[in-house]
Amino acid sequence: MADELLKIENLTKHFPVTRGIVFQKQVAAVKAVDDVSFTLNRGETLGVVGESGCGKSTMARCIMRLLDPTSGSITFEGRDISKLSRADMRPIRREMMMIFQDPYASLNPRKRVGFIVGEALVVHKAGTDAEIKRRVQELLEVVGLNPEHYNRFPHEFSGGQRQRIGIARALAVNPKLIVCDEPVSALDVSVQAQILNLLKDLQGEFGLTYIFIAHDLNVVRYISDRVMVMYLGKVAEIARGADLYVAPRHPYTGALLSAVPIPDPRLGRARKPIVLEGDVPNPINPPDGCRFHPRCPRFQEGVCELTIPQPVDVGTEHTAACFFPLERWPMSFEEMQQVSEPTPAS
Amino acid sequence: MTHLLEVEDLKTYFKTDDGIVKAVDGVSFTLDEGKTLGIVGESGSGKSVTCLTIMGLNPKRSATSEGRALYRGEDLLHASPSRLREIRGNDIAMIFQDPMTSLNPVHKIGAQIVEGILLHKDVSRKEAKSRALEALKEVGIPRAERRIDDYPHQFSGGMRQRVMIAMALVNEPSILIADEPTTALDVTTQAQILDLMHKLQRDYGTAIVMITHDLGVVAEIADEVVVMYAARVAEKAPVNELFEHPLHPYTWGLLGSLPRLESDIDRLVQIPGTPPSLLSPPRGCRFNPRCPYVFDRCKKELPELVASPAFPEHLQACYLDDATKQREADRTLAAFAGEAT
Repeated sequence: MADELLKIENLTKHFPVTRGIVFQKQVAAVKAVDDVSFTLNRGETLGVVGESGCGKSTMARCIMRLLDPTSGSITFEGRDISKLSRADMRPIRREMMMIFQDPYASLNPRKRVGFIVGEALVVHKAGTDAEIKRRVQELLEVVGLNPEHYNRFPHEFSGGQRQRIGIARALAVNPKLIVCDEPVSALDVSVQAQILNLLKDLQGEFGLTYIFIAHDLNVVRYISDRVMVMYLGKVAEIARGADLYVAPRHPYTGALLSAVPIPDPRLGRARKPIVLEGDVPNPINPPDGCRFHPRCPRFQEGVCELTIPQPVDVGTEHTAACFFPLERWPMSFEEMQQVSEPTPAS
Repeated sequence: MTHLLEVEDLKTYFKTDDGIVKAVDGVSFTLDEGKTLGIVGESGSGKSVTCLTIMGLNPKRSATSEGRALYRGEDLLHASPSRLREIRGNDIAMIFQDPMTSLNPVHKIGAQIVEGILLHKDVSRKEAKSRALEALKEVGIPRAERRIDDYPHQFSGGMRQRVMIAMALVNEPSILIADEPTTALDVTTQAQILDLMHKLQRDYGTAIVMITHDLGVVAEIADEVVVMYAARVAEKAPVNELFEHPLHPYTWGLLGSLPRLESDIDRLVQIPGTPPSLLSPPRGCRFNPRCPYVFDRCKKELPELVASPAFPEHLQACYLDDATKQREADRTLAAFAGEAT
């Protein structure tokens, strides 16, 4: 059994929707994350994909305890951290760090790079001023920046360089887990490749574990060992990267994959993409039963809209939450509509 | 043969406090009726400014343009403002990346579409409204009769982009310039919008200029591709030719740096460094500081676009000899094709 670093069980985050100014009463809830479970092994990268609003970032923030989960447990190194107090959380915070999407908004424009990268070291009292400075310069070098940039301000750097600063900051306290929330979405492709390669190198060097959130399936395939697909706050499918991309079992994963443009005109035009109708529904009032059922080509009346599908094993380390998983891949929209016998709900 | 749109040696310079920014510096391409031209490049490569210049939308105070941009033989760079107003929205329409900021938030979408019709066509308001409704149905807005009186904020991102497309196509323009129309959208929505653009092109024969940074989108939709780097054209070719025989080191870098869905790649090829500042671009070939194949001549002379001997419609601006190019192109493609699953 591989070494488990993080275990998420039934994680749920609902944001209350209130009405009234003096007497606020809750009228509804945005079900941003609903009953999400997965495990993460040491040294592994879990990619999380899904469309905007599917709860990827909220889930990450709950794991980091930047948001308090409504229910469920977060077990980090064998200890449930979902209900720890702020003071109890503090020593754990240095074990998990985060890299953000926007390299412009996530660095304080009025602080020097040396301070930004070293702040966590100061907070965690990791040494004398001189030691911290030496460590920061070392980190800048590790992420491919010039240690002499120590005294510069963020605005003097390009987007890619700023993202490197963000990475150096995350590495400062030797964390075990780094949650990367869309770290390359704002970057041009050539710079994106540099950052992805850097993240891979650092993982090898420091034995890091990543949760890598992105909406770009290509990027996720490149960086991840396992991939989790989310839809409207729920996990649709989890599988090892290669399996998910070659043999997706959840219809939503299939639709997502077929929607990604392929940078090869002959290949790309030969296939027929599965174009989903409509938009992602509102998470305040998500559809009953399977949340994907109103857009699903495999929708079966009497099953999908009544019961919430639970994740079932559909292969080695491969689970999908669907009553009618895809038998093969690739499939066209019409083929998807041909549904065979339902798998017994577990 | 005259082309629908012919851009020749287009240059656009901006005066700024720091000096002159050469945002577009000698760009040429042509577009024929019913075809799709893809312009790819990274941010700051001048792809948007090229199109804004064609539309005459650059700020007059700071921007100066040279060269020619002929629409059906008429030079748009020297057209009067009133003539440009006639052309914009009627003959050439444009849609932008961010559908929220390009729609007016305080007017109903129906009114915004009607405005565009009344400006160009001699029809009654009632007739215009029914045309607007037709257009909304055409782009697949559900319950268009009711949604026509909604405000932009009541639509999702994908739906707003559909409204933008309806607005652009309502006067049946011959050219649609789309500036990163799907960049802000999710993949499934992007697929819907690309599908829609394809369908409309088939139905109305509109020529499309598709500006994007996504080589995948270009491969899906374009007939011909222009690759821009630092305000100049690096390479220009029909889409299949470009993806099968890329001839410019920058294109190799772009292709190599793309993570692929269909194959396992151990390591992405990365282009070292960052794009140059257009205030003081490097001497010689703009790409030379980042190019792994650089030699003396690249640092001295600015390469012009020349036709490839094997394929005359394939133009590229690089001094490398053909044999090396062929070899390196094959190597680039083999890197991911070989491991395709």
